[in-house]
Amino acid sequence: MREVIAAPLPGLDLRQHYGHHQSPAIRAGGLIFCSGMLPVDPETGERRHGTLTSEAHVIFGNLKLLLESAGSSLDRLVQVHALIYDSIEYDVLNRVYRQYVANGPPARTVWTAQIEAGFKVQLDVIAAT
Amino acid sequence: MTPRREIVASVRALDAGSSFGRSVSMVVRGGDFLFVSSLAAVDPHSGEHVRGTTASETRQILTNLEHLLEAAGSSLDKVVKVNVLLHTMLEAPNMNEVYARFFPEPPPARTVCGARLPDGAKVIIECTALA
Repeated sequence: MREVIAAPLPGLDLRQHYGHHQSPAIRAGGLIFCSGMLPVDPETGERRHGTLTSEAHVIFGNLKLLLESAGSSLDRLVQVHALIYDSIEYDVLNRVYRQYVANGPPARTVWTAQIEAGFKVQLDVIAAT
Repeated sequence: MTPRREIVASVRALDAGSSFGRSVSMVVRGGDFLFVSSLAAVDPHSGEHVRGTTASETRQILTNLEHLLEAAGSSLDKVVKVNVLLHTMLEAPNMNEVYARFFPEPPPARTVCGARLPDGAKVIIECTALA
């Protein structure tokens, strides 16, 4: 079975705001697959450009909302792909990251990629239900 | 008992293992899921790389993906997550427009990013689907 997780707040519906042909998240086989999480305002969908640190805070806030609305949480993350715009910011990412996934952190890969709209970070995650 | 991990027979010409001599299975079943290797635009008959626009490569890849999934007993409407890699994020709207025509409602979760791709490919797509 495959079930769509709707956006818990209107700003998190990237399809509605930006036309991306995607669901916010899909639950299947005991897992939740989230679409790439971006630093947008959860109420308005407005882009919240900033430093990698500020963007990561917004993303983790959004991710928390999305996972909790689906009955999961940041503590139940299984795998994280963290895309950053420049590997020089790796340590900066880690400092924010630790604040949100302190105990028993999930499997993770970080790499450098071009992220939409010139954002500095994007998180692509799988969580347990 | 079903094996926990199984390499699923796929459309022969799309098999990267035979076409490119790489150690890659195109579709692997694990648990409830099918994991599909990243696909570049390949002619399904000749196995040759097809170079085109971002839109045409996306169309070719998703056509091949549809066949691969069906050969493995799944389908596009069972896809749960797609990762799209583009040679530049400036082309994201061109990919998105073609992409939207392939995936039935409601679409899977998706992540799109720009990356340096091999062999001059403009698009690469990987996915996870329910078996």
